[in-house]
Amino acid sequence: MHSFDLSFKKNSCMDIQNTQSQMRKGVLEFCILSIIQQGEVYPSDIVDKMKGANLHILEGTLYPLLTRLKNAGYLTYRWVESNSGPPRKYFLMTEAGLQFYSKLQRTWKELADAVETLTSQDGKENLPDENTQQ
Amino acid sequence: MKKVININFQGRVIPIEESAYEILKRYIESLRQFFANEEGRDEITNDIESRIGELFGEQLKKGVPCITDADVESIIASIGRPEDFEADEAEYQGAKAKATAEQTFTPGGGSQGHTHVRTERFFRDENNKLIGGVCAGLANYFGIDKLVVRILFILFTLGFGFGVIAYLILWVAIPSTASEKIGAYRKRLFRNPENKLIGGVCAGLASYFGVHVWVPRILFIIPFLSFVTNWHHWGAFNFPNFINLSFSPGAVIIYIILWLILPEAVTTSDRLEMKGEKVDLNSIKNTIQKDMEGFGERAKVFGKEVGEVAAQVGSEIGQRGKQVGSEAAGVARKSGSTIGNAIGIIVKIFVYFILGVVTISIVGALFGVGIAATGLLPLKSYFIADGWQNALAWGTYIFFIWVPVIGLITWIIRKIARSKSNGSALRFAFIAMWILGWVCFIGLLASVSNDFSYHNSPNENAIGISNPGVQKLQVKYVKNDRYYFNSSFLHLEPFATLDEDTAFVRNIHLRLLKSDNDSFHVKMLKIAYGASKQQAQQRAENINFNVNQKDSTLLFDRGIPITKRDLFRNQSVYVTVYVPVGKKIIVNNGIGWANDVHLNFGGDMDDWYWRNDNEGYDWDDNVEYIMTNEGLKPAHNSDVNDEDNNDSLSKPEEPAQPAEPKAVDSSRYHYQPTNDTEENDAKKTEVSITPVRTIKKAVKITDITSALFERLSL
Repeated sequence: MHSFDLSFKKNSCMDIQNTQSQMRKGVLEFCILSIIQQGEVYPSDIVDKMKGANLHILEGTLYPLLTRLKNAGYLTYRWVESNSGPPRKYFLMTEAGLQFYSKLQRTWKELADAVETLTSQDGKENLPDENTQQ
Repeated sequence: MKKVININFQGRVIPIEESAYEILKRYIESLRQFFANEEGRDEITNDIESRIGELFGEQLKKGVPCITDADVESIIASIGRPEDFEADEAEYQGAKAKATAEQTFTPGGGSQGHTHVRTERFFRDENNKLIGGVCAGLANYFGIDKLVVRILFILFTLGFGFGVIAYLILWVAIPSTASEKIGAYRKRLFRNPENKLIGGVCAGLASYFGVHVWVPRILFIIPFLSFVTNWHHWGAFNFPNFINLSFSPGAVIIYIILWLILPEAVTTSDRLEMKGEKVDLNSIKNTIQKDMEGFGERAKVFGKEVGEVAAQVGSEIGQRGKQVGSEAAGVARKSGSTIGNAIGIIVKIFVYFILGVVTISIVGALFGVGIAATGLLPLKSYFIADGWQNALAWGTYIFFIWVPVIGLITWIIRKIARSKSNGSALRFAFIAMWILGWVCFIGLLASVSNDFSYHNSPNENAIGISNPGVQKLQVKYVKNDRYYFNSSFLHLEPFATLDEDTAFVRNIHLRLLKSDNDSFHVKMLKIAYGASKQQAQQRAENINFNVNQKDSTLLFDRGIPITKRDLFRNQSVYVTVYVPVGKKIIVNNGIGWANDVHLNFGGDMDDWYWRNDNEGYDWDDNVEYIMTNEGLKPAHNSDVNDEDNNDSLSKPEEPAQPAEPKAVDSSRYHYQPTNDTEENDAKKTEVSITPVRTIKKAVKITDITSALFERLSL
């Protein structure tokens, strides 16, 4: 009953790459929502914008994410005629999406502050701590 | 030079190189598979497709005549391959799997695309494991406490020893939760159809462990060979030895079970999983190319078959899923409140417990029958003639007895594991095998009963005894002068002993009659059965049963030797001792009461007059009798009363000596002159009376099985 499991990874243990991608993944949704919140966009524009901010995302990851957000009622889309080829799907925020986004924004602020506080403390207190232990 | 084709792709006409089209097709297929569990999978793949179409359009706008391999590759690189965005997905799906009653896509493929099944598959629980997480996994699967499962498993193991094998199989065959949730790189055990000899089990194991295919094959074959050549060593003699079991016929059983529960590596991704290669497009492509070389034309037929099977499995699973779904919904509704929930859980535990007990006892009973049959195997060659009869016996043993055992165990495992493979074919195979078993069984019965059609014409012969004038004759079995193997585990009561190539049957009947002169006479009648009169005659003549007089003792052989050549065909011996008036006789325990083994196939057996003869006098073991003109009378005065008083009366007389041992050392009884005094005799009587009368009954062949069961139940 399980589908073809194509997800293989040679190791599941912690490495720097894994941790980095985990950190990035957490904020991905938030970033995408913030881009869409600015006005309706075409998915590849999102990729470009994020690339501009040095945050890489594959379109193959973006599409399912958008679909999920859309199915959750946070996004909706509009068909926009294109001058070359068939119409394109533009995504825009719904009312629920806006609320969701503002909640995320608040969480992000708190998180960023917390991380900021902790990491700056970390820098200050780490050295003397180690010294006393020795 | 490359062939360019035009495709209609997302509303655009795209000229594309054929090879590039192949890449594109495979890529989209891999996306479809990847998103197969996704709710909006069609939408996602559609969106990606249209994006690809758009990128194609841009490319063509640049003035290139067609889309090349390189174009497709670069587009794929920008969108990403499934393995590139697997990490996000694995995590997402892991979370999803946790949410209960999640509906996922069935493996029925496109044909059954909209059949949704509640899938909580059976996984080994990596987080709560004790050994391999099998029990914890079972507990998760059934939603009961893992302690309950563990206790059941331990009981199962202690009771039948089979729990260990089942555990090991489940351990190997069932994927762990870790591999599912983290999406870890894993291999799976499949049967390998490419390299198969019988069922592809060995080939699959070889692929899994990365060894040459002959390694598992030899591991399976060696114990099997030793099983065949030494079958009698494990049957009766070392049976409780679990290791012995698991390494000899166990290899066969394990093979059969693995054959049944392991899926065959059908699809390309199955085969890659089997070998543990990373599944990406390149490796899929490589394998496909390899396949094409190998299979060529057969691919079409193969594909069609796969499709049919998939459709069939899909629909079956769909139905089952619906059932399970409605049940689950019912339970969910019932357990709305917390109290209802608690009651639901208790009821669930109770029901599963009952079900478990019932299932275990059924399997146990079947297993018991199988083991009993196995225990009887050492006796087989004394009953079964070579050739057809032997083949039928083996057919009965395997197909009639063991097939339902294995079938039921397999069924249970498949139920637990929710096996995907085609169950109806399996069911059919089992039923067919069992029918074959019935045929063998009936054939065997017919064939053997035919061998019991006739008995020889009874012909009583006088046995010369060396000293017919003794005052008193004692009848006993000859002392065991050889070492007979007597398994403590399997003691076949009616078969006195089982030798290397001879079984001894105590079908010895003793009659005491009045002699018409003043000396003892002994006559013997040998009876045997056969498919024809001559055969029976021959067999009766082959009975080598000796009755010898030694001093005042009449020694009977331990039993009628049955060789593998002669076979057991109800050989029996009727010994008549004619006692002269005024002389005494004492019969040691057990003789002549015929620990009778005989097979009755409804022939003329029951008409055999010796069996119900009224001619002989009644007597008890170890009681001295004197022959009078009126018949046989107890020699001792106190024994004159009816035999029920015998024990109570004789007890006070019992001397302080220890009870008479069964196998009496004949040296204790020295030669007694014929003019032995009464006094001496009386003393001897006291000695030879044993306080306990052994209870005897005629033992039929069916009792052997029940005796075995009694022993097994210990």
